[in-house]
Amino acid sequence: MNIVSTYTWCQFAPAFALVGLAALLILADALLPRLPKRIYACTGAVGTFVAAYYLYTGSPSNFLGCIAAIATGLSLLLAFDYKKISCESIAGAGNEEGTGEFYALPLVACAGILCLTQARDLVMLFVSLEVVTLTSYVLAGYFRRNQGSIEAGIKYLVLGALSTGILVYGTAWYFGMVGSFNIGPEIVLSALKGGVAGTPQLAVGFMLATALLFAGALFKVGAAPMHVWIPDVYQGAPTPTTAFLAVASKTAGFIVLCALALPFAPFCAPGSIIGKIIVWSFAIIAAATLIIGNLGALRQTNLKRLLGYSSIAQAGFIVVFFLNINPLMVNLVGQYLLAYALATLAAFYAIAMIRIQRGSEEIAAFRGLGKSNPRTAFLITVCFASLAGVPLTMGFMVKMYSFVAAITAIGNWCGICWLLPIMVITAATGFYYYFKIIRAMYWEKAQPGEKALQVPVCTGIVLTLCALALIYLGTMPLLLIMS
Amino acid sequence: MNMIHNLPWLFLLLPLVVAAIDWVCLNKHPRLAATLSLLSAAGTLGLCIAYLTGLQTGTPDTYTWMPSSLEQLNLHLGLLMDPMAMRMMLVVTGIGLLVHFFSIGYMKGDSSNLSRYYAGLSIFMFSMSTIVLASNLAMTFIGWEMVGFSSYLLIGHWFDKDSAADAAKKAFITNRVGDFGFLLGILLTLGLFGTMNFADMSGKAAGIAPAVLTVTIICLFCGAVGKSAQFPLHVWLPDAMEGPTPVSALIHAATMVAAGVYMLVRLQVSMGAEAFTETACCIIASVGAITAVLAAIMAVQQDDIKRILAYSTLSQLGYMVMAVGLLAGEAAMFHLYTHAWFKALLFLGAGAIIVCCHHEQDIWKMGGLSKRMPLTVLCFMMGTCALIAIPGFSGFFSKEAILEAALAKYPVFFWVGAGVAALTTFYMLRLCIVAFMGPAREHGAEHAKEAGFTMALPLLVLAVMAIISGYGFIANDLVPANGFHAHGFELGLPFYASMGSLVVGILLAVAIYGLGGRTKDPLAGNCISKALRNRLYIDALYDKVLIGGLQQGFAHLMQFLDSYIIRGILCQGIMWLTVRIGYLCSWIQCGSLRAYTLITGIGLVILVLLLAFQF
Repeated sequence: MNIVSTYTWCQFAPAFALVGLAALLILADALLPRLPKRIYACTGAVGTFVAAYYLYTGSPSNFLGCIAAIATGLSLLLAFDYKKISCESIAGAGNEEGTGEFYALPLVACAGILCLTQARDLVMLFVSLEVVTLTSYVLAGYFRRNQGSIEAGIKYLVLGALSTGILVYGTAWYFGMVGSFNIGPEIVLSALKGGVAGTPQLAVGFMLATALLFAGALFKVGAAPMHVWIPDVYQGAPTPTTAFLAVASKTAGFIVLCALALPFAPFCAPGSIIGKIIVWSFAIIAAATLIIGNLGALRQTNLKRLLGYSSIAQAGFIVVFFLNINPLMVNLVGQYLLAYALATLAAFYAIAMIRIQRGSEEIAAFRGLGKSNPRTAFLITVCFASLAGVPLTMGFMVKMYSFVAAITAIGNWCGICWLLPIMVITAATGFYYYFKIIRAMYWEKAQPGEKALQVPVCTGIVLTLCALALIYLGTMPLLLIMS
Repeated sequence: MNMIHNLPWLFLLLPLVVAAIDWVCLNKHPRLAATLSLLSAAGTLGLCIAYLTGLQTGTPDTYTWMPSSLEQLNLHLGLLMDPMAMRMMLVVTGIGLLVHFFSIGYMKGDSSNLSRYYAGLSIFMFSMSTIVLASNLAMTFIGWEMVGFSSYLLIGHWFDKDSAADAAKKAFITNRVGDFGFLLGILLTLGLFGTMNFADMSGKAAGIAPAVLTVTIICLFCGAVGKSAQFPLHVWLPDAMEGPTPVSALIHAATMVAAGVYMLVRLQVSMGAEAFTETACCIIASVGAITAVLAAIMAVQQDDIKRILAYSTLSQLGYMVMAVGLLAGEAAMFHLYTHAWFKALLFLGAGAIIVCCHHEQDIWKMGGLSKRMPLTVLCFMMGTCALIAIPGFSGFFSKEAILEAALAKYPVFFWVGAGVAALTTFYMLRLCIVAFMGPAREHGAEHAKEAGFTMALPLLVLAVMAIISGYGFIANDLVPANGFHAHGFELGLPFYASMGSLVVGILLAVAIYGLGGRTKDPLAGNCISKALRNRLYIDALYDKVLIGGLQQGFAHLMQFLDSYIIRGILCQGIMWLTVRIGYLCSWIQCGSLRAYTLITGIGLVILVLLLAFQF
C-alpha cells in the first residue's frame, strides 16, 4: 500500500498557527502563573479572529471554517466574561489557578475543525474530528467542583466514544469495500457498480460503510437518532463550552456530513435507486430530528437545556438541505449555520450574564428585563426571534431556504411530501418555546430586590453586533457573498 | 469600491435612519430629533435639486429580496430615476422640508412626545419616497402600506384624544379596503404582464383581452380610491384632520393623497395608454367627477377651517382622477403639482391661524383676522386665488389643462368640472369672508397676533410657488411628467366657462355673506344644510349597514368558524398531539446513560437498515 500525500503544508497554516498559539498559552500558564488569565482569553480570541479573516479572504474562501473560528473566538470571549464562575467551579472563588487550559484548549479544537475543512480522505477526517472531540471531552468536564459539569463530561465521553467506534468501524468497512480512504465521486461510482470484480454484494457493504460514517457525523451534528447526548451535556457543561459545542462543534459535524454526502451528488438524480434511498433516509432523519428537537423543547424551563433542544431542532432544518445533494447545498448549510451561530452565541452570552448576576439559568430568571434593561432585552428578543424565524431577521431567510429546499425535493420525490407538514408544525412550535424567553422579559415583573443587570462590555458588544448582523442579513440577504 | 452610483438610495435611507434614531435614541431630546429630521429633509431636497440640475451618478443598484427560481417572482428593490419621479421627489421633499420647518413653530409648547412626531414625519418621508422612486409595483405596495402606517401614527399623534385615535383607525381601515383591491390588481398585473417592473410593462397590454384588462386596471384603481380618498372611500380624509395641521398639509393635502394619482399616471406611462380600456377610463373619470362634485357640495356647509380645506382637497383630487380617466396624465400631474404647493400653503396658513387664535378652528368664531395677522392672511389669499383659479395664478393653468382635456374627450365631464369650479370659488370665499373680514367674534380671534418666523417663512415660500409655479418657464422643468410642455394659453370655451364659474361663485358668495357683517350662516338651519353638515349621511350609512350589519354578521360567522373549527378542532387537536409527543420526547431524555446508549444503538440499526438494506 502506497500512501501519497495529497495535501500541502500551507493548507493547514491557520491550523498550525492556532495549535502553536495554544502551546504558547499552555507554556505561559505553566511558567508565568501570575499572568491574569484574561489575557489568555483575549489572545486566543484575537488568534481565532485573525484565522477567520485569513480563511474568509483566502481562495477558495472557507466559509464553514470561518464560522467555526469566529464561534471559537466568541466562546473564548464568553469565557473571559465568565471568569467568576469558572474560578468558583475549578479552584475555589477568586482563585485562578488551573484555569489556563480552559482558554487554550478551544484553540486546539478550532485547529481540528480547520483541518477538517481540508480533509479529502477518511483518515484526515477521522483524526481532525477526534482532535475536536477529545478537547471537547476535557472542556465539558472542566468545572470539577460542579456536579453537572462532571456528569456532562462523563456522558459526553461515553457516548462520544461510542460514536468514535462507529466512525472507525465505518472507515474499516469503507476501506474493505473500495481499498482506499479517499472520498470522491469516482470511488462511490465504482463501488456502487460492484467494484473491479463486479460483485453486487460490494454495493451493500459500501452502503453499510456509508451508513456508519453518516451515523458518526450525525452524532456531532446532533441529529436523530444520535442526538441523545445533547440536552444533558449542553445543560451540564460550562456555558462557554456549551456555546462552543453548540456552534463550532456542530459546524464541524456539518463539514463532515457535507464531505461524506457530496460524492453522492451525481447519483441523486430523480428516479435513481441510490438517490431514493439517500433522500428517504435524510427525510426521515430530518423529520425525526425536527420532531424530537422542537417538541422536546416545549417543556423545558432551563434555558441551556432548551438551547440544546433548539440546536437539535435547527440541525433538523439544516439536514433538510441534504435532500438535494449538490455543491450549492454547502452554501445553504453555511448560511443557515451562520444565522444559527449568530443567534445562539448571543443567547449564550445572555445566559452567562444572567447566570453571573442572578445565579440562575432558568428562563424565569429573564423576568423583568424588558423594564430594567430595555436595550439588552431588545437585542435578546432579536436573537430569539431570529431563531424562531421571524421575518426581517436572518433566521427567517434561512428557514425559508430550508422550506424551499424541501419543496424542491418533494418536486423530485413525491413520496416524501409528509415532510412539509412536519416542518410547518415544528417551525410553529419553535415560536412557542423561543417566545417563552421574550414573554419572561416583557410580561413578567421582576421580583422585589432584583436590580437592573450590569451588562459587561464584551457581552454588550457581542449582543449588539449579533443582533445587528441578524437584522442586516435578514433584510439584505444577497449581500452575503460566498464562494 | 466605488459606490457613488448608489447615492440615490440616500433618498430612502436618510429619512429611515433618522426616523429610527429619533424613535429609539432621542425620546428625551425633542429638539435634537427635530433638528435631525429637518436635516434629513433638507439633505434629500438638496440631493433632489442636484439630480434635477444635471448631476449624474449612473444607475443605482437593484437589490433582490427573497430570490426565487422564477425570475418574475423575485422581489426587487430598485430605484426608477426618470424625470417624472425626480420632479415628484422635488415636490415631496420641498414641501416636506417646509412642513418640518413649520412644525417647529407649530408644535412649540405641545406636551406630547415630539420625538415621536418627528420620527413619524421622517418615516413618512421615507415611505413616500419609496412610492415615488419605486421601480416596480411590489415596491410601490410596500411604500403604499408604509405611508398608510405613518399616516396612522401621525393622525393619531394626540392619541389620548378619542376622536384622534378613532380617526387614525378609520383612515387605516378604509385604506386597507382599497389596498386589498390594489394587491389583487398587482397580482393580476403580474399574471397578465408577467412582470411587476414598470420598465418592462410597455407594449404587453396589446395581447390581453379587454375585459380582463379592465378588471386589472379597476383593481389597481381601487388602491388609488383608498389612498386618494375617492368616493366611496372618501370618508377617512375629513376625519384625518384630527392630526396636527402640518401633518394635514404634508400628508393629507400635498403628497400622500396624491400618491394614487401618481401611481395611476405611472401605470399609464409604463403600460401605455392602450392598457386603459374605454370602460376602465369611464369608471375612473366618473368616480373622480362624483368625488369632485360631492366633496364640493359638502364643503359649502362646513364650519371647521381644516375640514373645508379637507373637502376641497377631496374635490381637487377628484379633478385629478378625472383627468387620469380622460387619459390626460400630463394634465393630472400638472394639477397635482400646482395643487401640492397651494394646498400646502392653505393648510399651513390655516395652521398658523389656528395657533394664533388659540386652537380655534371654527370660522364663525374668527373674524377680522386680516387686520391682526395681515401677512398670514395675505399668503392664505394667494393660496385661495390659486385654488379658485384666478387667471395668472398657478391653479388656473392646471385647471384649464384638465378642462380642455375633458372638452376634447367627454364634454359632460367638462361641464361637471366647470360647475365644481363655481362651488370651489363659493366655499373658499365664504371661508375668507367669514374668517378674515368684519369684526372678531370671539376672544381668540381678538387677541390673534402674527405668526412667528418659523411659520411665516414657509408660508412666504409657498405663496411664491402658488403664484408662479404654473407659468411655462417653471412648469416645463418641474411638473412631474416625462417631457411636460405647457402649451400656450388660448381663449376658448374652457376659458370662458371657468371665468363664468369664477364670477358666479364670487357673486353668490358676496351676495350671501356680504363683506363680513354676518354672525351666523344664512344658509344654515334647513334640511339641506343639515344633510350637508352630516356629510350626506354617507358615514352614518357605512356605520349602520357596512359595519353594523354586514361586518357584524360576517364577524359572527367567522367567529363561529374560528372558535369551533379552526381553534377547536385544528389548533387544539394539533396542539394536544404536539404536546403529548413533546412529553414523550423529554421523557426519553431521562438522564440514564444506559438508556442513551441503547437509543443510539437502536438508531444506528435503523439507519443501517434504511441506507444499506433496501436494494
